[in-house]
Amino acid sequence: MTLDSPTRINPMIRHRASHIGRAVPRREDRSPLMGRQRYIADLKLPGMLEVAFVRSPEAHARIVSIDTAPALALPGVHAVFTGADLADVDLFPHKILYIQPVRQPVLALDQVRYVGSPYAAVVATDRYVAEDAATLVAAYTEFEPLPTVADLDQALAENAPRLYDDWPDNYLVNFPAEKPEVTQAFEEADHTFSDTYVSQRQTGLPLECRGVLADVHDGYFTVWSSTQSPHIVRTTIAEMTGIPEPRIRVIAPAMGGGFGTKTHIYPEDVVMTWIAGKLGRPVRWLEDRFENLLTGVHARDQRHEVDVAYDDDGTIRAVRCKAICDVGSGEIFMPGTATVFVTGGCLTGGYDLPNMEVHHFCVVTNKTPSGAYRGFGVPEGMFVMERIIDRVARLTGTDPVEIRRRMILQEDQMPYEMHGGGRIDSGSHAKAFERAVEMIGESLELVRARYADDPDVRVGVGYTNYVEPTTPTYHLTTGFWAGGDSATIRVDPDGSVRVGLGTTALGQGTETTAAQLAAESLGLHPDDVTVVMGDTDRAPYGLGAWGSRSAIVMSGSILMAADRLITKARDIAAHLLEAAAEDVVLSDGNFHVSGSDAPTVSWSQVATSAWVRTLDLPRGMEPGLEMTGYFEPPELEHLPDMSGKVNAAASWSNGAHAGVVSVRISTGEIKIEDYVVVHDCGTMINPMIIDGQVHGGVAQGIAGAMYEHFQYDTETARPLFASFMEYLYPTCSEVPAMTVEHFETPSPEQPLGVKGCGEGGTIGPAAVVAGAVDDALADLGVEIKATPVTPSAIREAIREATAGGGER
Amino acid sequence: MKPAPFDYYRPATVEDALAALGTSETAKVLAGGQSLIPAMNFRLSQPDLLVDIGGVEGFDRLDVGPSGVMIGASVTQSRVMASDEVAEAVPGLRQALHHVAHLQIRNRGTVCGSIAHADPAAELPALAIACGATLFLQGPAGERTVDAGDFFLGPFWTDLGEGEIITGVHFPSEPADTVTLMDELAWRSGDFAITGVAAAVATRDGCVSGARLVSFGVSGVPSRMAAAEQAVLGFAPGDDSSALYGAAYEDGGDAVDDIHATAEYRREALGALAVRSVRAALASNGNGTGV
Amino acid sequence: MMDTSPGSREVDVAATINGMQVTHRVPARLLLSDFIRDVVGLTGTHVGCEHGYCGACTVIVDGDAIRSCSTLAVQADGSTIRTVEDLATDGDLTPMQQAFHENHAMQCGFCTAGFLMTLESVDPDDYREPEQVVDLLSGNLCRCTGYQNIVNAVCSVWEVERS
Repeated sequence: MTLDSPTRINPMIRHRASHIGRAVPRREDRSPLMGRQRYIADLKLPGMLEVAFVRSPEAHARIVSIDTAPALALPGVHAVFTGADLADVDLFPHKILYIQPVRQPVLALDQVRYVGSPYAAVVATDRYVAEDAATLVAAYTEFEPLPTVADLDQALAENAPRLYDDWPDNYLVNFPAEKPEVTQAFEEADHTFSDTYVSQRQTGLPLECRGVLADVHDGYFTVWSSTQSPHIVRTTIAEMTGIPEPRIRVIAPAMGGGFGTKTHIYPEDVVMTWIAGKLGRPVRWLEDRFENLLTGVHARDQRHEVDVAYDDDGTIRAVRCKAICDVGSGEIFMPGTATVFVTGGCLTGGYDLPNMEVHHFCVVTNKTPSGAYRGFGVPEGMFVMERIIDRVARLTGTDPVEIRRRMILQEDQMPYEMHGGGRIDSGSHAKAFERAVEMIGESLELVRARYADDPDVRVGVGYTNYVEPTTPTYHLTTGFWAGGDSATIRVDPDGSVRVGLGTTALGQGTETTAAQLAAESLGLHPDDVTVVMGDTDRAPYGLGAWGSRSAIVMSGSILMAADRLITKARDIAAHLLEAAAEDVVLSDGNFHVSGSDAPTVSWSQVATSAWVRTLDLPRGMEPGLEMTGYFEPPELEHLPDMSGKVNAAASWSNGAHAGVVSVRISTGEIKIEDYVVVHDCGTMINPMIIDGQVHGGVAQGIAGAMYEHFQYDTETARPLFASFMEYLYPTCSEVPAMTVEHFETPSPEQPLGVKGCGEGGTIGPAAVVAGAVDDALADLGVEIKATPVTPSAIREAIREATAGGGER
Repeated sequence: MKPAPFDYYRPATVEDALAALGTSETAKVLAGGQSLIPAMNFRLSQPDLLVDIGGVEGFDRLDVGPSGVMIGASVTQSRVMASDEVAEAVPGLRQALHHVAHLQIRNRGTVCGSIAHADPAAELPALAIACGATLFLQGPAGERTVDAGDFFLGPFWTDLGEGEIITGVHFPSEPADTVTLMDELAWRSGDFAITGVAAAVATRDGCVSGARLVSFGVSGVPSRMAAAEQAVLGFAPGDDSSALYGAAYEDGGDAVDDIHATAEYRREALGALAVRSVRAALASNGNGTGV
Repeated sequence: MMDTSPGSREVDVAATINGMQVTHRVPARLLLSDFIRDVVGLTGTHVGCEHGYCGACTVIVDGDAIRSCSTLAVQADGSTIRTVEDLATDGDLTPMQQAFHENHAMQCGFCTAGFLMTLESVDPDDYREPEQVVDLLSGNLCRCTGYQNIVNAVCSVWEVERS
């Protein structure tokens, strides 16, 4: 079948009350409210054993020997497996050809490259005993420490210790670039400056840690995994273990968040399946928070060395940026290499700046592997862009709002091709910014008045104008898959509808949204629709939920399947009505001849004919009323062209954020006094859910702007964190109340005009907070160049800018 | 994150508790457990015996008298915070407890447990010093009392001897001319302090006539701020604060660097908080009820 | 002075959970969170950090909201425990549960039980100002909602005016 994806609701559906754009309350809420939701940790099977992984205490070492005998002697311990025991499991695949191959084993064999790296697994009656035994295995493991690499400078130093003996250096990705027009712009510009901006190491940190429960029965494996991509987990397990894929069922149960961290295929997914097969009984591993902080992928650890060419009037002529990502040990599938390319490609955000030259590098260090986190490289880039704009504004005496007005994308520039090939199909960039300026202007005055009598407090405002690439290709991330997803819709004889989706739910409200889409597409009510996701046996193949993709891929695949269903249902209804199919329409869930209200045939009657009274079907028609749509988003590209450009996202949402902060000079205390978001994700399916996505995204953005930071000892590369005492996950007191408004600029290319909204919230805050602090402390000459912006960092910046400490 | 195995014992009398502690070198006292159990979950603490003092007779006493407040070893922070009589006698306690973690922790965490744990960034040890509190200890050698000011020796290190436990702490009533309060900087609500000051400030004729200023979260141990206490004498609301700031900054000479803040930051913050605390105390003196 | 340890590795825990009498012999080291979830089988209480920080495991013991991950099961011996399963009556949501639903004060739902039990344990009259509500809610972490709608939900039920 060729791709014939419809972009609109089938025109034969009449008189419908639209379910799109309505704040339909979430069907997902009731179970968790009652304490009846089933997360991975709530699942138990008879005879189940618990697993604890033994993890490296060393940042870089050779494993000399492991003595498992003392652990095995402990009562309640059933087995201990080391990497050598899993010799029949393949290494993690290497599919991206332009990066160095890592090819890590599921359990470290002879070398560990970060603290937390799993090298053995203990199986015991319960988690308490498993931990006792894991402690014993660790105590009887001999390591030979190797020289460590704790940061970019150490990794890139001459004669630096190498993490991988067979690599020439520590570059996982080494992609320099050169654009003649940029070189020329630097020669012509009035001025240039160079600067370095740093984003710190963070993680998505879902409140639910990961977990895997694996069982085997008659050679048929069932694997429950807290994953955002169950089908990809299944394909990868099959590839690495040799178990035929149809003999593996992967189920993602209700999930306590993911935020990108659960898109990866972790070693535990594979090891647990293998252990279940080996022991022939169910085994469960529940990650604890200590493990989660050490081994769940980290993100955002990037340094940007920029050169900027600008003119006296504040025009930015060109930017050259070396974007360098510290990806930790690199031992994760899919590898954490794609984010830096997204950072580079989206560096200009909502601004018109074609003369951008980005050099991309990924460097390995003896730290936790890095990977996906909501925003996926965009927040890091926006921080850089807005810092550059604010600096040029300051250097040239230009109003920071005015300079942004000059640069921001205008509607008549759509579609706009960005420097890296991203094609922004539509948007409200300029309009959103003006609205944000207007909204924040009002509160800025109020806040200034509030602190007018306190000489210790300064007030400032910051802005960002971002684009949010949605529904990206998976090919550049994995070297394998593309960008599509699927929906199977079945209408049962009672007229109710079951929708199976290849995407998954991790708390965003996908079930409710999908039911709205399916109801709209079939002329029914959302209550008629049951949604099934996250189960490879019950839902069609799909890539899962990440990259703000569910809205587009669900819309596309549901529309495709619904269109095919309606075509068939109309033929059946026409036959039952003894009318011509082209005369039949669908109103309020009933088929009838256009222009006459009676007689009618209901979905239930049609489905009964299709499934049960198949003798009623038109002659020659095959029974059944189930259709699948495999949707590949139009305009989405998977490989760069000869010039390296690629439109790696199906659509581009946009937004403007602005915030007012107060800063206490004596202590560096910073408070976000107000925060506004003007957001545009195209057609909105459920505005309530979209607001929730924005709120949560902004909170995570603020977490990155001011609080969360994984730090490592620079001498030993050991983590300086183990708990929420060190990793400062914000509470309700730290996240300000925010105002969210929307524009709705439908995508001209994507189904229903939807664009996606999962990540935009996270993109703005780092740039906004840094800009606002700079603005507040402008008369002291403070410039923020790194996140997190903590009171200690602010005081340090004040000391540096004022050579002593400013006012007290 | 599960504790290593241990034996559990819940004595009914202080004598039994002490006897039990004498049977093991790694035994630990379990009061509220809000620091101990997380540490055990991380297996940073692996006692072979836990002596739960929650049922020890008399440890649940919370007596308010003319001389002050007597808080038994098993009295929770929430219970102290909820008592209006306590707030009347020692207003600083309620205010300080508000900074201690969150409701759910205070519902189990004890005042004496926090003092015994001696986290250098905790509020209650510093407050005990500022208030001139007295600790009641009992051990194999019998009972004794220690001034809070002499009790804290280092990070998680106190004057408690082998097998000795805190049976109670006495906070003297706040003198009429004194305001006790606490101010701290923490990056998040409920966190341990990055820098904090517990202050008991006495005033006469609108000027500071005496003060106990205690820093916490700055170095490895809550410490009296000798220079600031000297510099603050005679300080009046309209006075220039730079001398007081400078003295407090000097008092932070042994400030520590860590992942949250630099030592220099802590010294500056200590200066700012000392000024802030003293000004707040002066602003609220008159009525003697603190802030 | 005793010569040997007076303690024991295993302990009896008898408690009333959600009105139900339970008695179990369990290891002394068993955390209350694991007792509630794995021994009693009430999995509505979630475990998010096991070091007393996130509040997902909050339950009510003898009227007080506490962290069940930082409490031993044996410490709850003889107590009355309430968990999220005890809130709705015959499937009817409490006003607070209903407000969480209507205000979209939950996404993944993993933290929700902890918030609900904290809120259930307190007297709304002690939280008349929005700042007090925010302060109260700061003992429970949520990663999805940015807290805004949770504050809204609570303020709507407790009739607290937000500026």
